Amino acid sequence: MKTPTWIALGILMAVGTVATFLAPPAPAFQVPDLARLVFFHLPCALTSALFFVSAPYFAFRYLRTEDRRWDLRAEAAMEIAVVTGILTLATGIIFSKVQWGAWWNWDPRQTSYLLVMFISAAYFAVRAAYGDTARRAANAAAYSMASVLPVLFLIFVYPRLPMVKSLHPNVIAEGGFDSVYRGVFYSMFALVFVACLGLFRFRYRVGLIEMLVDDSDAELANRDRIAAPGVVRPVALSPESRKATK
Amino acid sequence: MKPLLVVEGLSKRYGRQSLFQNVSLELARGDVLVVTGANGSGKSTFLRCLVGLETQDRGTVTFDGDPRTFWGFSAIDQAVYANLTVAEHLEFTADCRGVEANVRFWLERIGLAAFADRPAGLLSTGMRARLKLALAAQAGPQILALDEPGAALDADGIALIDDLVREQAERGACILATNDPAERRYGNLELAIGT
Amino acid sequence: MRKEWRTEFRNPSILLAGLLFSLGSMMAISLAAFSTKLSGTLGAGLYWVALLFASLLTAPRRFTNEEEQRTGDLLRLVARPHSVFWGKALWVLAELAANAIVLAGTFLLFTGQNVAQPGIFAVGLFGTVLALAGATSVSGAMASRARQSTGLAATLALPLLLPIIFLGMAALRTGLGDGVVENGWRSAVGLVGYGIASLAVGPYLFAAVWKR
Repeated sequence: MKTPTWIALGILMAVGTVATFLAPPAPAFQVPDLARLVFFHLPCALTSALFFVSAPYFAFRYLRTEDRRWDLRAEAAMEIAVVTGILTLATGIIFSKVQWGAWWNWDPRQTSYLLVMFISAAYFAVRAAYGDTARRAANAAAYSMASVLPVLFLIFVYPRLPMVKSLHPNVIAEGGFDSVYRGVFYSMFALVFVACLGLFRFRYRVGLIEMLVDDSDAELANRDRIAAPGVVRPVALSPESRKATK
Repeated sequence: MKPLLVVEGLSKRYGRQSLFQNVSLELARGDVLVVTGANGSGKSTFLRCLVGLETQDRGTVTFDGDPRTFWGFSAIDQAVYANLTVAEHLEFTADCRGVEANVRFWLERIGLAAFADRPAGLLSTGMRARLKLALAAQAGPQILALDEPGAALDADGIALIDDLVREQAERGACILATNDPAERRYGNLELAIGT
Repeated sequence: MRKEWRTEFRNPSILLAGLLFSLGSMMAISLAAFSTKLSGTLGAGLYWVALLFASLLTAPRRFTNEEEQRTGDLLRLVARPHSVFWGKALWVLAELAANAIVLAGTFLLFTGQNVAQPGIFAVGLFGTVLALAGATSVSGAMASRARQSTGLAATLALPLLLPIIFLGMAALRTGLGDGVVENGWRSAVGLVGYGIASLAVGPYLFAAVWKR
C-alpha cells in the first residue's frame, strides 16, 4: 500500500478509536466503560482466525506448485495471525481482570486461544529448524496443514462443547449487540482487517525482495566462478586407455 | 533415439556458495557419464539431485518411468540396515520396488553367498559396498548412478564394477562420480564439476 | 511393516523404552495412590500422562531413526512415500496399542479402579491410540531431517495432540465413572474420527516432506 493509503488508514483507525466512545457504556459489565474493549478484542480475534485459516491454504498451494511465493504468503499470514492473536489475548486478559477479577482464570476460551498460540510458535520452530530453503518451506507447509484440525477444534469447536462451561460471552452466536454496538463493531472490524491485509501484503513483498536479493547475491558471489560448464564434453577413448582398465 | 535422461539448467547452492550452476546434458542408451571434480566440489550432490535425494534450486531432470526402478544408486556414505541380513536386504528392496528379488543370483554375483544370513552391521566396509551395488543394480535400472564405486573394494570388487558398468551400458546408461583414473576410463562423456 | 518388525525385534530398544516407561510410571502412580481411591477424572488424567509421554518417547523415533542411522536415503530410493508412511504408522499403532493395553491392565490392577462404562473406555482407548499414532507419525516425519530432530518432534507433536488430549480425557473419565455418558460417547467417537482423519491426511503430508 502506498504511503497516503497508510496515512489514511492511520487517520481512520484514530477516528474509529474515538468512535468507540460514541457507543454507550454497557451496564451489564463490571466496569461499563471498559466494555468498549470488545471493539478491539473481537476484530483482532476474527482477523487472527481468518489469517490462521488462510495460512494452510497458502501452504497447500506451495506443496502443489513448489512456488516459493506461496511459502512467503503462508509465513506472512502466520505472522499476522500471531500478532493479532497476541493482541486478542492481551485485550482478553484486561477484560478478564476487569470483568472476572483475575488476569487469567483458565477459562476454556482463554486457554484454547493460548494453545492456538503454542501451535503457531511450533510453526516458527519448524521454520527455524531447517537451513535448506526447500525443506524449510515443505516442512512448514506440512505442519501448517497438519495443524488445521487442532486450530479449528480449539477456536470453533471446543469452546462450544456442551460439557465446557465458559464465562466468555458469545455475542456473535447468541446476540447481545444492539444496533449502535453492531455498527461500531463492523466498522472497527473492517478497519482492523484492511490494516492487517496491508501489513500482510507489505510483509509478503519484503519476503519477496529478500528472496530476490538472496538469489542475485549468490549469483554475484559466484559470477567469476564457473561452477560447471554448460555442455558435457565428450571424451575420446583410445584403444590403449581402454586396455588399461582391464 | 529418444534420450533416457534430459537435464536442463540444473543449479544447486548451499547458502551463497554455488556447487554447480546451469548444467545441461542428455544421456542416451550406451552412454557412460563420468562426473569428476575436487573433494567438496559437488559431485555427490549432483548425483543426488539427479536421483531425487536432493532438490535442486533451479533446473529440471526429465526421464520416463518409475524412479524406483529407473534409477539404481549407490554411494560410499549410503547406509544399510544394521539388523537386516544380506538376503533380507535384497528381499526388502525388491519387495518395495515390485520386482523379482533373485536373491540367490545376486548373492553369487556379489560374492556374498556365504554371508547371506549375516546382519549387514557385521559386514566389512567392502562387503557392504558390494551389497549396495547389488541393491542398486537389482531392478535392472535404466540408469545406474554410482558415487565413488571403487572405494573400499578389492580386485574382485573392481571386476564386479567393470561387469556392472559394461552390462549397464548395453541396457541403458551409467553415471559415475569419481576421481579414480581407472574408473574415468569407463566414460565416453565427462562432466567436470567445480572447475 | 515387515522390515520394521524385523529390525525392532532384533534390537528392541525403542519398544523396551516405551514398555519400561509405561510400567515405571504406572508403578509410581499406584504407589502414590496407595491408600487413596482415585476419582475417574484423576485416574484418567494420570493414565493419560503416562500414555502420552510413552508415545512421545517412542513414536517419533520410528522416523527420526531412519535419518540418524542414515538409512533414509535407501528407503527413499526404493519405496513409495505412502508405503513408508503406512509401514511406520501401522507399526506405531501396534506399539501404542500394546503400550495402552499394558498401561490399562496395570493401572486397573494396581489402583483398583472400576471401569463404570466399559464400552466408552474401550472405544476411547481405541480412538486415543488411533489419534496418537496419526499425530506422532506426522510430527516424527516432519522432524526427521531437522537439526534437532528429537526435540523438534516432541515440540511439533504436543500442539497437534491438544484436541486428542481433551477428547481422550473426557472419554476415559466417563469410562471410569465421572461425567455424563452421552458426552463420553461423543468424545470417544470424536476421538476415533480425529484418528481416522489424521491417518488419512498423514500419507499426503508425509509425501510432501519425505523426499525433500
